[in-house]
Amino acid sequence: MLGETLSQYLFVVFLSPLFTGIFSKFKSRIESKKGPSIFQPYYDIFKLFRKETLIPEGSGILFRYVPYAAFGVYSLISLIVPVLIPVPVFFTASADFLGGAILFSLAAFLKMSAAMNSGSNFSAMGTSRIISFNFLAEGALITVFFGVSLITATNNPYTTHSFLSTNLLQNFSLVHIFSTLAFFMLFLYETGKIPLQSEGLPELGMIDSGLNFEYSGKLLAINRWTSHMKQYLLGSIFLNVFFVPWGLFSTYPLFLLDFPVMFLKWMLLIFIVIVIETTLAKLRLFKVLDYLATAFTFSVLFLIFSEVIV
Amino acid sequence: MNALIEVLIYPISSFILISAFYLQAQEFVRSMVIGQMIQSALLGFLSFVIGFAESDYDFFILGVLIVVLRAFLVTYMLERRVPREKIHLHEKKVDVAFTFLVNLILVVTAVFLIYFLIFRSIHLVPDIGSSTIFIFPLTLFFQGLFLIASRKTTFAQIIGYVEEENALVLFAMFLLPIPLIIEASVFLDVLALVVVSSIVVIEKFAHEKMEDLVG
Repeated sequence: MLGETLSQYLFVVFLSPLFTGIFSKFKSRIESKKGPSIFQPYYDIFKLFRKETLIPEGSGILFRYVPYAAFGVYSLISLIVPVLIPVPVFFTASADFLGGAILFSLAAFLKMSAAMNSGSNFSAMGTSRIISFNFLAEGALITVFFGVSLITATNNPYTTHSFLSTNLLQNFSLVHIFSTLAFFMLFLYETGKIPLQSEGLPELGMIDSGLNFEYSGKLLAINRWTSHMKQYLLGSIFLNVFFVPWGLFSTYPLFLLDFPVMFLKWMLLIFIVIVIETTLAKLRLFKVLDYLATAFTFSVLFLIFSEVIV
Repeated sequence: MNALIEVLIYPISSFILISAFYLQAQEFVRSMVIGQMIQSALLGFLSFVIGFAESDYDFFILGVLIVVLRAFLVTYMLERRVPREKIHLHEKKVDVAFTFLVNLILVVTAVFLIYFLIFRSIHLVPDIGSSTIFIFPLTLFFQGLFLIASRKTTFAQIIGYVEEENALVLFAMFLLPIPLIIEASVFLDVLALVVVSSIVVIEKFAHEKMEDLVG
């Protein structure tokens, strides 16, 4: 089990920036641009590690240490959800599906607290925006997980994964389609993809960038790295628990095939996201709530269907 | 046959439900009209599916009537009333997040209460199997009501009325034999939706607050 645990953890930590790089490269190619190298996120992280770290005057202890704590939280999540190996590994028993959702919220809360602790007005603005949107996103996330637990009568993501990969027809049930749709909408929101684009410095879209506004050097590198990990974790939960739960192996040496399988699954996800990103326009800031309300509606309908219809 | 019905009826019914949410969130009058056309067409299609499963010609006639009267005639009459130069005619201040949340509260509360209290003992079309199917017409009905209550434009209110009618027909379609309510609703289609609504829309585009104060 040690081999599986280490494979899963190291895969998440070291390969998550690669998927961001591939995504940027493909997107640029579709937009007829040359685009950065697929290893650009690694170059950025290495560059930032060598840079000087500046701590703003008046910032507190949270500002300095939260990036490490957030990295730790995402490390723990990478061991409790089936993001590579479809059977429980070490530390999996530390939390269930809902526990995973709460850990995601904890990491987000820590990052927001750190941003507020920096003493910057821009960071405070980004934080207030995130909080005003997150109440619906968190509600939808928890409702989706409630619904998933109702399908399999357990709150364990591994059981859900195993149930869905062995019962093919369940993947086409109405309940499952609604939950997949709601979770995908949340994935786009949480990773700041168009139509919700939260990256960039224009004032009206400055949400994620607001959190990192005062960070520099090593701390910024760690923050960027945790963002890559978060994207990988959410995307892999979407792929392995909701969208395409098939194709993963658990025994030695077959589990080594999981690496190319996950890679292919991610190519599929990247393709879908790129199609969405290149065909939809960015939503205005105050429309983000409408988008999240729609995701929440889907998740609640899914909850009703899973309880009443099935 | 059972499997086909199960596979088709639930998705179509839920698409009807989703179209109701679409109508609720829509600001533009023309999109709402198109939305109700899709909803009615889905309802007509559902009628054909049930008719096919039950080998009952009544459902086919009903399907044709729904498609002709609601999906085409009502849409045509309403579309004609949208002024050509104002194709972007829309209702201001449609707060989607708020509307959806209120809508969900209504849906969840009403459906669970009514379903568990009242509809346990109704006899259904045999192939549908479970009375849980009533969640769709009930939800649609309350959404239609809420659409009327939450909007000021006459267009939106008429579309809310069509939605309620759709809900009644959907409700009645799951029962055997087809009750009188369907014949009544077809009559209402011709009289109220087509004739009256086209006149009302010309006479009064929106209900403003100030009108309440005028004697």
